[in-house]
Amino acid sequence: MKGFLLILIGFWSGMSVFAQTADSTSTYKKRVLENTEVDILSSYYSQTGDNAAVTGGRGTEELTDFAPSIVVAIPLNADDVLNIDANISAYTSASSSNIDPFDGSGPADPFVSSSGASSGDVWTNLNASYSHSSDDRDKIWSANVSFSNEYDYFSVGFGGSYSRLFNEKNTELSVKANVFLDSWKPIYPIELRPFAEGGNGLANYLFRNYTITGNADYQPQFVEFQNKSRNSYSVGFTFSQILSKKLQAAMELDLVQQDGLLSTPFQRVYFQDVEDSFIENFQLADAIELLPDTRFKIAVGGRLNYYLNEIFVLRGYYRYYTDDWGIRSHTASLEVPIKIAEKFTVYPSYRYYTQTAADYFAGYESHFSTEGFYTSDYDLSDFNANQYGFGVTYTDIFTNFHIWNYGLKSIDLKYNHYARNSNFKADIIAAGFKFILD
Amino acid sequence: MIKKIGFIAVLLVCLSSCTAVREYEKVYINDPDMVLGTKNIDRFETNFHAYREAAVGANGGKTGGGCGCN
Repeated sequence: MKGFLLILIGFWSGMSVFAQTADSTSTYKKRVLENTEVDILSSYYSQTGDNAAVTGGRGTEELTDFAPSIVVAIPLNADDVLNIDANISAYTSASSSNIDPFDGSGPADPFVSSSGASSGDVWTNLNASYSHSSDDRDKIWSANVSFSNEYDYFSVGFGGSYSRLFNEKNTELSVKANVFLDSWKPIYPIELRPFAEGGNGLANYLFRNYTITGNADYQPQFVEFQNKSRNSYSVGFTFSQILSKKLQAAMELDLVQQDGLLSTPFQRVYFQDVEDSFIENFQLADAIELLPDTRFKIAVGGRLNYYLNEIFVLRGYYRYYTDDWGIRSHTASLEVPIKIAEKFTVYPSYRYYTQTAADYFAGYESHFSTEGFYTSDYDLSDFNANQYGFGVTYTDIFTNFHIWNYGLKSIDLKYNHYARNSNFKADIIAAGFKFILD
Repeated sequence: MIKKIGFIAVLLVCLSSCTAVREYEKVYINDPDMVLGTKNIDRFETNFHAYREAAVGANGGKTGGGCGCN
């Protein structure tokens, strides 16, 4: 707590000191954004692994996702800019398909995807933000609102930010705040639904159509969630500073408080002190993930960019993260843009990530039924990951190529390969085209 | 840890008043690759990290909203 107070005092004193020396020499008012800009982006993501949370930490994690986006920045006048950001994410997931593994197409198995309704979904998202800059461009206000929706989840968010530039625009202090009010439409594993309040238990058609092997007297530990909301409140501070003609740095601090349903309703847990029950090759859930209904997160990050020469730039990043679920993590990355020609820059990059496990995590068949909280979601486990990336950007500042009244400013392509120290692997390829209205 | 971070933040605020790079000297600082943030195309990578890793925040990405459950 003393640390936070120290940081807040630092920001406050910085604001006070620099407010006295703020720029007041502005004579020419340049437009914040000269013309409307349109970014058309898209990505394709795929992952593999054998620790699916839907099947209690053991099962296929195969997933693919196609995500197109469009971002439009519109100058409303010399000072104000409106941003519209629309996103779609269409995924197919073998693990979430196993919310209901009994599709009749073959023996149910946690390592085989099912063809059920939960095998895919579409996430849609819309963000709008409005920013206003002062005449001297030393003060920037912004407000934003966002909506996102998928089959079992809806989110609405809003927030704002304020930035202040000082010291001949060598220093910038920003504060931002956001609130997300989310709601679940919980979907539970198929074999647990007959055990919900009012359900018919083992008399359900599922258990009449299939034979339970192992412990035939299947009695899971299951109560439906009553609270279906998840709220997130965040406040963030950023301090950036030009340190020399070729060096600049930034520090970021984000504080996030979450409450509500923080468990994922369709993630199974298997207890080691409960006798196992099976249908075909599929182990029936002993319970669903149960996590605390509050979580407080702190993330502190630093960036350092150095212009080495006309060919190389060094972009470094580090982040420390901690939360009250017992997770500590470090992230470090380095990207080295290399200008290989007048219009082409390549971007090799490396990122390292490590985290400790949440207090409530244990692997497949490792929890006890007497525990207060439990999850076998390996995203909350102890792991480290290496990521190697390569990108290329084509830039034409004269926007010679046109589509209708829009000139092509740049093309970005980027590929990343991500591998944990388990057998989890992911690949993501993204492309982006930036157009500017003439 | 938090005390150290606070100390560094205060130190940076103090140091920032030592020198000022003039606008006409910012040709390197204004290079597009020197931007202290991420490019639009990096949003997909940031999102997938938020889904697959416990840590979020302090990277320009969102800090809430969405279940991140697939």
